[in-house]
Amino acid sequence: MKPRSLTNTVAMLHSPRYCRPLKGFTVALRLLVVICSLAALSAEHTIAAGDSDVPPGILQFLQQHCTDCHSGQKTEGDFSIDNLTFQLDDAAIRRRWIHVYDRVAQREMPPPDSSVLNNADRQQLLDQLSPPLEAADLQLILKRGRGPARRLTRSEFQNNLRRILLLPQLDIRDRLPAERDAHGFTKVSALLDVSRVQLEAFLDAAEAALQQAVASRQPPPPAITQRFTGLDLFPELSTFGEREAMFFARDNRLVAIDGGMFSRMTPEQRRDPSLELALFRSATWPYYGYPRGFLAKESGAYRLRFAGRAVRQVRDFRLAVALEPAPLSFRARQPSGPDVSGDVRETGGWMDLQPELREFETTIQLRAGETFEYSPLGLPVPFIRTDGGFFYDYPPMPAEGHRGVAIRWLEVTGPLREPDWPGASHRVLFDDVAIEKATAAEAERLFRRFAAIATLRPLTDASHAPFLSLIRQKLAAGTPPATALLAAFQAFLCSPHCLYLTEPRPGEPDQHFAIASRLSHFLWNQRPDERLFQLAATGQLRDPDALRSETSRLLADPMFSHFVQGFADEWLDLRRLRRDLPDERLYPEYRRDDYLVDSMELETRNFLGTLFTENLPVATTIHADFTFVNDRLARHYDLPRVSGSKLQRISLPPGSPFGGLLTQAAILKHTANGTSTSPVLRGAWVMEKLFGQPPGAPPKNIPSVEPDIRGAQSIRDLLNKHTAAPECARCHAKFDHVGFALENFDVMGAWRDRYRGLERGEKVTGIDPAGHPYTYFVGSEVDASGTLPSGESFQDIQQLRKLLIAQPRQLARNLLHQLILYSTGTPVSFADRREVELMLDAAATDGFRAGDLLHAVVQSSLFLGRGE
Amino acid sequence: MLTRSPRRFWRFPLNRRRVLRGLGVAITLPVLDCHRSSAATRTPTQPRRMLLISNNLGVLPKNFFPADAGTDYTPSLYLQELAEFRNQFTVFSGLSHPAVTGGHSTENCFLTAARDPTRSGFRNSISLDQFAVESLGQQTRFPTLNLGVNIDKANRSLSWSRDGVLLPADDSPAKLFQRLFLQGDAQQLDLRLKRLQERASILDVLRDDVRLFQAGLGTTDRSRLDQYLTSIRDLEQNLATSAEWEQKPKPAPTAQPPQDIPDPARFFPKIRLMLDMARLAFESESTRIVTLMIDGFATPVFQIDDQRRTGDGYHGLSHHGQSSQKLQELEQVDLRQMQELKQLFTALAATQAGDNHNLLDHTMVLFGSNLGDANVHNCTNLPILLAGGGLMHGRHLAFDGLRNTPLCNLFVTMLRNFGLELDQFASSTGMISELL
Repeated sequence: MKPRSLTNTVAMLHSPRYCRPLKGFTVALRLLVVICSLAALSAEHTIAAGDSDVPPGILQFLQQHCTDCHSGQKTEGDFSIDNLTFQLDDAAIRRRWIHVYDRVAQREMPPPDSSVLNNADRQQLLDQLSPPLEAADLQLILKRGRGPARRLTRSEFQNNLRRILLLPQLDIRDRLPAERDAHGFTKVSALLDVSRVQLEAFLDAAEAALQQAVASRQPPPPAITQRFTGLDLFPELSTFGEREAMFFARDNRLVAIDGGMFSRMTPEQRRDPSLELALFRSATWPYYGYPRGFLAKESGAYRLRFAGRAVRQVRDFRLAVALEPAPLSFRARQPSGPDVSGDVRETGGWMDLQPELREFETTIQLRAGETFEYSPLGLPVPFIRTDGGFFYDYPPMPAEGHRGVAIRWLEVTGPLREPDWPGASHRVLFDDVAIEKATAAEAERLFRRFAAIATLRPLTDASHAPFLSLIRQKLAAGTPPATALLAAFQAFLCSPHCLYLTEPRPGEPDQHFAIASRLSHFLWNQRPDERLFQLAATGQLRDPDALRSETSRLLADPMFSHFVQGFADEWLDLRRLRRDLPDERLYPEYRRDDYLVDSMELETRNFLGTLFTENLPVATTIHADFTFVNDRLARHYDLPRVSGSKLQRISLPPGSPFGGLLTQAAILKHTANGTSTSPVLRGAWVMEKLFGQPPGAPPKNIPSVEPDIRGAQSIRDLLNKHTAAPECARCHAKFDHVGFALENFDVMGAWRDRYRGLERGEKVTGIDPAGHPYTYFVGSEVDASGTLPSGESFQDIQQLRKLLIAQPRQLARNLLHQLILYSTGTPVSFADRREVELMLDAAATDGFRAGDLLHAVVQSSLFLGRGE
Repeated sequence: MLTRSPRRFWRFPLNRRRVLRGLGVAITLPVLDCHRSSAATRTPTQPRRMLLISNNLGVLPKNFFPADAGTDYTPSLYLQELAEFRNQFTVFSGLSHPAVTGGHSTENCFLTAARDPTRSGFRNSISLDQFAVESLGQQTRFPTLNLGVNIDKANRSLSWSRDGVLLPADDSPAKLFQRLFLQGDAQQLDLRLKRLQERASILDVLRDDVRLFQAGLGTTDRSRLDQYLTSIRDLEQNLATSAEWEQKPKPAPTAQPPQDIPDPARFFPKIRLMLDMARLAFESESTRIVTLMIDGFATPVFQIDDQRRTGDGYHGLSHHGQSSQKLQELEQVDLRQMQELKQLFTALAATQAGDNHNLLDHTMVLFGSNLGDANVHNCTNLPILLAGGGLMHGRHLAFDGLRNTPLCNLFVTMLRNFGLELDQFASSTGMISELL
């Protein structure tokens, strides 16, 4: 068995557990072995104990404190020190020694109950081990750099092509295979492989992108405006869910129209502008609604104008003035009726309809053959019941009536023309040359021009040669100049000049460009802009002040949102937010509540961005007195009412359990599974991701705890049984406590005092928003108390929080590790640790602020590269 | 998801330059043949094939699932039709795609397992057949065939690309026969070869460029870029294979050219014809993977046999609402479908393939549906049946009806049996080792 490192993300990243799902991908594995070098120690290192090359002091320590459990037949924790040499230039051996170092340094080894070790002896070992380990690690870094060249991720590739070709809507990301990830991180050099499949996909994607750039040469069809009023606002006279879901109204009263009446109406009567379309349900299958007869003939952007208002449906199908705004969006889809067949995409953004009639304007993106449906957010969905029949039921009307929207008219114009046809994209490719008649010399000039635009680093004259020779060959064979050039462009976009980020090496000619690219792909998830390239060209990026001001500029730019989204997806695992749906039996109130899930994602992103842009102390991740909510989230958190869909920063009332990443709904949702919560999984996630202290892999042969959703046994009872053995308890003590405190939050992150179950407790019945009857039971009370490994105990999340924020240095160290991996593609190595501690020392004076830490990373030699 | 490189035994040591020359000038006798024969001698076993069939309205569950599990199960009404092949198929219960809900919309997810197809932001994902081809590379003239009966081609398909684009089904047996057995016209061939040649020339440039680029790098980066060079080589071989197939004479047909049946009411003759085409394609080594969607949703009133017609369109019929008349008709329809399956098994079993084996031994035939119970749009407890392919059969494998096992576990098992070394596909959580 392979050794497992237990302390830091660095080692976990390489641990076999996390590589396991990739088994069989031989190329990848071979590389992982070469780069990560976590291969099992093989017999070739066998050395008899007598002639070991391990320094005597260290050897003595091992024999005294370790051999009982980690030698011969006994290999506790799958770790054996037999055959362990001191050949530290071998990465696999070095990693094992680092493992020893960390266990001893963390005071986990030797275990307190089996061996007594005084502090002086402990320190002595660490002092003996550290210098040779650091020296060996450093030597390798100086020789080879911290990590290999990194391939772009598919998001980066798409962003870069958008920028190069000036096609902001280019959609090629999904043509490329998804990246593998380690602990959620995809921007990891060692994992970003190229195989035949990837190369082919990159070529296809580049070809498609170039075709779009050229296609825009065709004059776009003229934009057409269509106006919809009256009965044309909806494809049918009624829909699933009947009048409760939708009707036409005039003067706030239902206008009942059946098929017979409709067939006798004149077109003018059908378009009667005094009619309103009133909708009270969110768009979902099988419920649908789009303007009658609209179909996008071309793919592109369409401008949408409409007049609408928020309404309430009260008794007997009357409309009353709304009490609060109603958010509305649109969904692009094929008009295939209740049987949705193609993609369904939200488009046009969120708009808040107000109680009084107003006009709205937005732009939506449609593909040819698509239409768009009204998508009121956060309303109930009429959903088909399948329990013993085929029918719909309706929830009782709320006291204030059904919330909804009313649309008076709607106008769609498109596809929108590019303002400067034949288009900027075309000029990127062919300048203003009449390309059909371009000479060989002109074609060559155009290629050089394009390559200069697209490359990530300066090109030598020689590096143009293969591409130019392709163009010449093709021209000689009678290929039209445009075709010849496009082939060369396609090749260039997939070449290492555009596809790989290299590590800055001081003294090398490209170093400033490597810094520029590393910085922009870090903070904008895309290639440097002109200014950054300019600074690289003039060699200014090693000047700390210039670099700092550039970093600040990138942080303040709207494109910093790319960092926020990417880092939230990778560090905080937001990519997994939609993995599980809440159990419909236990949590009927969340059925199909996409609006809630979308809102919680925005909350965490806003919060994360603010952490950096406002340079807040890292302890804010655990405890904050503010957060971001909209109408739906405020309800979710039981906060005072907030109106509208836009997220607003609010101060949390004193004593609120919310505030900080630790208790944000998005985090609590994806660390649960939709049905039950597990203190183990939540605790382990928090310790790994927020504190950088991941628990070791669970031992083999021990089944995981299966929660009892009937409600008979609490998770704490089950866990107590599970961890009764001391060897289990020792490890669980490192992370269960946080999970226990988070038991007060349900699978969607809302507060709960009691558990829900399906069999025991106080019976609760009702009809959910989709019209399904439900029965669940409110059972035993949540016990959120626990004890930290240090012995400090707490009663609830508030008390735990106070204990946790007492470790800001560890929080900051972890954030540094995450930022370094995200920005450089390579985890923090042993030799990097010294500099990381220096960064922490510097950041300590001002309370470890997130922005300061980010700047420190950019200014470090880990980011800027080390010279020999 | 990462895919592995093509299987070794198909990686013949072609000389690159020679192949590239071959792309430009029409060589009549491909280099491939000699390599294939040498490959064949090294691997005496026949390659595996897959036929993946879904009827998007499913079957009546109570007549399909046996009441008891294991090897001694009592065949259900429908499975009695297949009694003759009892030891050559496995029937499954308790399988479904986790979180693939949304009634009829799930029909496009049968081979992709993409979650919640009616949600905002839905995009389909790669289907089982395309995934297999992507991983193995092209080994036959057609990487896959994607077929349909009565299919609404614009909206429905079992086959989806990596980026979730619908790959339209072929619904004309006559045209399919042409593609399989009749040499295309020279102009089309020329166009296809030109495109391959274009790709090859781009790869040539990239190779030269990567070498130049590497020269300026340190050892770690250089070895990282070696991977890129390997990819170029792999891709070139792939192109070479495609080019060889383009120029290779097509196999001689063993059957008469079929005539299309335009009338959707002649539902079962249409199914029979398509299943015949699938068998011909396997037999002639034209492809190893065929998907077939039987689009009941788009099937109007149709003939159960020469005497009887359904009283309603297939979709209307499927929402039987316990009407005894409709249930009776559905039962007849389902039974007829089982008879077509039996006919297919019989035909495959009668086709020799290698020593002491027939085509059924080498072909995994999956029959199933995205709906567990079309009457109520239920997408759990899907009816699934897998025959042939040299797997351990003869059982009813019953999984938990309340907490279903992911259908993708079966897909992983099939992919492994197909020759891919992998542990995971889409929503899989493991394998169904009972089959191996």
